[in-house]
Amino acid sequence: MRKPLSIPRTWALLIAAVIFYIPANVLPITTVTSFGSTQSDTILSGVLYFIKTGMWPIAVIIFIASVIVPLAKILILGFLLISVQRRFLGHKRDRTLLYRITEVIGRWSMVDIFVVTILVALVNLGSLASVQVGPAAPFFAAVVVITMAASMQFDPRLIWDAEPPVRKGGAPR
Amino acid sequence: MESDHTGHSEFDTLPEAVVKEGKIPISIVWIVPLVALVIGGWLVYRAWSEKGPVITISFKTAQGLEAGKTHIKYKDVTVGRVEKIELSPDLSEVLVRAQLAKATETLLTQGTRFWVVRARLSAGEISGLGTLFSGAYIGMDPGPPGKAERHFTGLEVPPVVTTDLPGAHFTLRADRLSSLDVGSPVYYRQIKVGQVVGYHLEESGKAVIVNIFISAPHHRLVDTNTRFWNAGGLDVALDVSGVRVKTKSIMALLLGGIAFETPTNLEPGKPVEAGHRFTLCANREEIYEKTYAHKFNWLLYFDGSVRGLSPGAPVEFRGIRVGKVLDVNLELDPENGICRIPVLIETTPERFWPAHTEFDASKQKAFMGALVEKGLRARLKTGSLISGKRLVELDLFPAAGMAAIDWSGRYPVLPTLPGPTEEILDSLSRLLVKLERVPIEDISRELKGTLQGANRLVNAAALHESVVAFRETLEEIRALADRLNRTAVPEFRAGMGQLTTAFKRLDTLVQNLNDSSIPALSALLQEAQGTLSDMDRFVSTEASLYQELKGALSEIAGAARAVRVMADYLSRHPEALIYGKGKEQ
Repeated sequence: MRKPLSIPRTWALLIAAVIFYIPANVLPITTVTSFGSTQSDTILSGVLYFIKTGMWPIAVIIFIASVIVPLAKILILGFLLISVQRRFLGHKRDRTLLYRITEVIGRWSMVDIFVVTILVALVNLGSLASVQVGPAAPFFAAVVVITMAASMQFDPRLIWDAEPPVRKGGAPR
Repeated sequence: MESDHTGHSEFDTLPEAVVKEGKIPISIVWIVPLVALVIGGWLVYRAWSEKGPVITISFKTAQGLEAGKTHIKYKDVTVGRVEKIELSPDLSEVLVRAQLAKATETLLTQGTRFWVVRARLSAGEISGLGTLFSGAYIGMDPGPPGKAERHFTGLEVPPVVTTDLPGAHFTLRADRLSSLDVGSPVYYRQIKVGQVVGYHLEESGKAVIVNIFISAPHHRLVDTNTRFWNAGGLDVALDVSGVRVKTKSIMALLLGGIAFETPTNLEPGKPVEAGHRFTLCANREEIYEKTYAHKFNWLLYFDGSVRGLSPGAPVEFRGIRVGKVLDVNLELDPENGICRIPVLIETTPERFWPAHTEFDASKQKAFMGALVEKGLRARLKTGSLISGKRLVELDLFPAAGMAAIDWSGRYPVLPTLPGPTEEILDSLSRLLVKLERVPIEDISRELKGTLQGANRLVNAAALHESVVAFRETLEEIRALADRLNRTAVPEFRAGMGQLTTAFKRLDTLVQNLNDSSIPALSALLQEAQGTLSDMDRFVSTEASLYQELKGALSEIAGAARAVRVMADYLSRHPEALIYGKGKEQ
């Protein structure tokens, strides 16, 4: 018994994730106020800022967790759905591996949200320095959650369902 | 796996995977992307509809401005942000492109001004210190409603007041800017009610036009009769009335200032229309001078010295200022030996006009001519002995000789008289001349004769005789005194001797008294005292005599009592005499 309506549901959630991904990257995720001057940063501009100020490890982490992982999940799930619907025959094991990877790494995108949360809670020095959450944060969290739901909805056994066309009256090769 | 007659039958019996299809063709999960679409669409719509206008401001320099960071603020509220800063094509100025909020669309008209707000120290104000921390920002002042505009030229200096402050602008006309500057305060009764917003030269270059702004509600204090004067700096004047030093607060000293007032001797005027120009007087006293429209120039010729008369000195008629001296010149004609000093004065003829009649310039000539016939003359007068300044005095001198106004020439000539100082000098010289004529030698000679006569008088015989008689009288008085001395005085002296003896006897008597009588008297007193003390002993209660007397008295009393009882009894029982007491038993 396969999961009911696996493919349509996965597509629906994937499309929702894609739609939400746009404001998650366009709107600023943090607003830093220091000495009276305010600066809003999107995810990408934050990464660039960390690179510019020499904090490479943080930049790498955030880039992987906030940009690469969600994008990869969306693309992989999309590819898997297409492969199932088009009944691709080859590389079933690799495709299943991809799916497993997607499932596992999915939740790690929330790192970015946690970083923002900790910054907001700790850096609270009034007008000297303070951080506020930007409007992109809920959209980004929504993307992460929806992609996790999408990958949960996808039934990987469907990958194995694709069979070569059966020749009537003959033994299978 | 058992081999069968046909292989596929086994495969036929292998169960097929069941892929359950939903009953409804579309699953409810599609709501999620639908919601996402709606939210995303709404975000896009909101971002697009809230997009305000994009404007370009040109500045001379982009100092303090940063693309993507610098805000544009109106009333300290951020209404926009600088997006891009670039040089103009001809590299002469900086073009700043900024994105403003939608709400500012109506504010962007042709009169809207932009300027960069940095920390600034200016006349009486320190402003914009917050920008030291937060960075500079661009301030905005919307102009009056009108045609929308998207390209502006930024101001290099922030304007003093913004157009949305309630109040009114006024224009003043001044000879000189003196200590005024943009931001100099405007005072009313020494309270700051406004400030100078700007100044520029008049088109003809003869005056300075000063624009001031007076905030509400004080702007209603200004009407057409209000006078403005320069209240700043230090006012030192050395003029006809002496030395005068005046200043206001330290702020006025440093920054200058304008003050205004409606003089109380004027009735309130009409409200001010736009474009009305007030005159800025140099100091407070000037505002009380009546301003008259007509001015007339006269020429005066003086012969004597005009030392102390300078242009600007007042022309007075019996103490009331009617004009001022414009120029003092010198006319020398060596050939004819004529030397005179023309003085050009300016008067306000309305002063001379008969009261309650309209001033008529055409009738002025006849009027002044009539006055001169009555004796109107001009002369110099010393205004103050301290400063030595002089003024021109006009007055009616009925005793002056005949004269008339000379209407030929560029300016009419008024006849003059020598001034009072000169009159004194004149009379003094006349006195000296008279003195010279006086025959001093004759007078002294006669005086000597008089003295000699007096001398003779004193030495005359009659005087001598009277003196002799006087002497005789004195001698008689002296004889009288001698007689008195000889007779009366010894008797007096004898009498005095007797008195002295009498006193001596009295003295001896007292002495005797003291020596003899007094001791005897005291002995007598002592004896009396002894007797009295003896008597006292007798009479005191301890004395035996007293006791015995007392006992005797009590006995007598008892006896008397007994006798009385007996008498009573006897009176009731006379028979007791015979029968005795026991009868009644």
